[in-house]
Amino acid sequence: MEDMIQMDRAMSTQQDIKIRANGVQVYYGENHAIKDVSVEIQDKTVTAFIGPSGCGKSTFLRCINRMNDTIDICRVTGDIRIDDEDIYDPRVDPVQLRAKVGMVFQKPNPFPKSIYDNVAYGPKIHGLAASKADLDEIVEKALRRGAIWDEVKDRLHAPGTGLSGGQQQRLCIARAIATEPEVLLMDEPCSALDPIATAQVEELIDELRQNYSVVIVTHSMQQAARVSQRTAFFHLGNLVEYADTDKIFTNPEDPRTESYISGRIG
Amino acid sequence: MTDASLHKKGKSLLALDARTKKRNAAEARFKGYGIAAIAVSLFFLVALLVTIISNGVPAFTQTYVNVAVTLDAAKLDKNGNRDIDDIKKVSTFGYKPLINAALVDAVAGIETELSDKDVGKILSASAPAVVRDYVIANPDQIGETVAFRLLTSSRVDGYMKGRVVREDLARDKNLDAAHLDLIDVMVGQGSVERVFNWDFVLGADASESRPEQAGIGVSMLGSFFMMLVVLILALPIGVAASIYLEEFAPQNRFTDLIEVNISNLAAVPSIVFGILGLAVFIQFAHLPQSAPIVGGLTLTLMTLPTIVISTRASLKSVPPSIRDAALGVGASKMQAVFHHVLPLAMPGILTGTIIGLAQALGETAPLLLIGMVGYIATNYPDGVASGFLDPNSAMPAQIYEWAKRADPAFYERAWGGIIVLLLFLLTMNLIAIILRRRFERRW
Repeated sequence: MEDMIQMDRAMSTQQDIKIRANGVQVYYGENHAIKDVSVEIQDKTVTAFIGPSGCGKSTFLRCINRMNDTIDICRVTGDIRIDDEDIYDPRVDPVQLRAKVGMVFQKPNPFPKSIYDNVAYGPKIHGLAASKADLDEIVEKALRRGAIWDEVKDRLHAPGTGLSGGQQQRLCIARAIATEPEVLLMDEPCSALDPIATAQVEELIDELRQNYSVVIVTHSMQQAARVSQRTAFFHLGNLVEYADTDKIFTNPEDPRTESYISGRIG
Repeated sequence: MTDASLHKKGKSLLALDARTKKRNAAEARFKGYGIAAIAVSLFFLVALLVTIISNGVPAFTQTYVNVAVTLDAAKLDKNGNRDIDDIKKVSTFGYKPLINAALVDAVAGIETELSDKDVGKILSASAPAVVRDYVIANPDQIGETVAFRLLTSSRVDGYMKGRVVREDLARDKNLDAAHLDLIDVMVGQGSVERVFNWDFVLGADASESRPEQAGIGVSMLGSFFMMLVVLILALPIGVAASIYLEEFAPQNRFTDLIEVNISNLAAVPSIVFGILGLAVFIQFAHLPQSAPIVGGLTLTLMTLPTIVISTRASLKSVPPSIRDAALGVGASKMQAVFHHVLPLAMPGILTGTIIGLAQALGETAPLLLIGMVGYIATNYPDGVASGFLDPNSAMPAQIYEWAKRADPAFYERAWGGIIVLLLFLLTMNLIAIILRRRFERRW
């Protein structure tokens, strides 16, 4: 019996569950921002975190690649495992973790360098390219996957900051996937973009699902419904409901979820 | 009636109401104050520049007399064997009569009440040394008649520049009005000329009685070596400290304390740093007195807070999204800082550094305490090591020295020194601006 459970668990870890969070608590000084959140995020799936402002969805997202480490007063307890490895283990260097868990931010934030250098920076510092030709190849591949190659291939050495907002955000996505991460975290990636650029980025997210486990934080419920397969609803630091996207939007179990998606709170 | 109803319902946009008028008047007044403030500061700037230039420019020219001196072999080489050691035995006193004789020859035929001996007073006291140096360098010229260009005395120079008039000389024992008559004639003959004064820009200070010989070159080197020390020490230490405090240090009582102290240090009077430099570098560490290295170290202490404060401000102004971006792709904190944050902060750091250096360059008070107001007449540093370690002065200290001296000719030098100091500063700023442009153009 116990063997069965063990096996079952091993299988699910290998095939399905990429990130397993258990009893995560986050404090900003005195403020208890995340209250006992447990969630299992599947591989090759887009998982959306929705909820009103200040509900802790971005905070929780930033726990997954330990970006919260950079905030002095932030304290994280509980257990977050990626591929069954505790990422808060003292032996884990956040630098290696972040190479494995890429992140795209709310505001497009390309480095004030050329498009090429933006994408090449990650592979360079992680030593992924043996030669200049290698690096060229990685950059091209990342830009293609970021669905921006055709727009920038003739001006790879123009500054990345000279692109339009939507292009900048796709450049940032290309930069994030250039290091071959396994998980891609996106913190409201479309909130600074117009509808056309948003559609392009959403399309891209859907394609990225083939290779990565994508976790996206979004304010737009429509966006969550469009791009995600699983949705988690956060409210006041609690994970209220976590289920298939279809179910959340059509038949939520918790009254708070229903209130939020029908526009009564939030 | 119609007016009242207008006010009640929709007010006309064409008529200004009292409140708007008041607001507009306040705005116009404020603009007026601003323009007045700018006008006043411009006036002072122009007044300053005019004073500096009108007082200082004469220092850049100097009056010389062309005289053909006969190098009498009987007097300069009594043994007649052209032995260099014998020639060296003749001191400048031996040369004085030769020059006098040459001058008397030059003005022969001009009526003057001056005795032959007194004619020599139109020349600088340095003239015999110039001739002697020439003879020692070229002993084979003894017996010949050689044309020399000799410095005139400071009063003759002042007369040529319009600073000295005949009435000034009534009670002057150095020069009489008769000398000036003589000069007038010599100007007519074309043997007196006023040329650009390279010795002022490149030369060393001279004794109180020879203002015509004094130059700012050596103290300029002193300032240069001091600035080198300040740049080499203050920039890396200041930037490293700021990066640590801004990017790595935890926020706690201790770092708060350091922060407050740095801000306070920037406001400490410079003379305090001077006495600290005296106590630490000279009395405790026994570094050489009056040396640019000590001056540089003291000024480094003074400049560090300025550089730290401006560097921290420019690091702070780099948007945090850049740090997030770098950390997000897996850069370590140090890589994020050195690859992304620091280059963006570089222009601001350079600006802070140049402000700090400019402050240090113009600082006099700390130099008084570590003895860098020495009288440096001959000690031209002969290499990099001696540039750092030999006693020297600095430009502001030299200007201060000259301004203290009694002879008005030194006053002119002091103003000239200020022009050199300002040009030095402008060059420094120019280099900083060019560097800034370079850094900015990289993205």
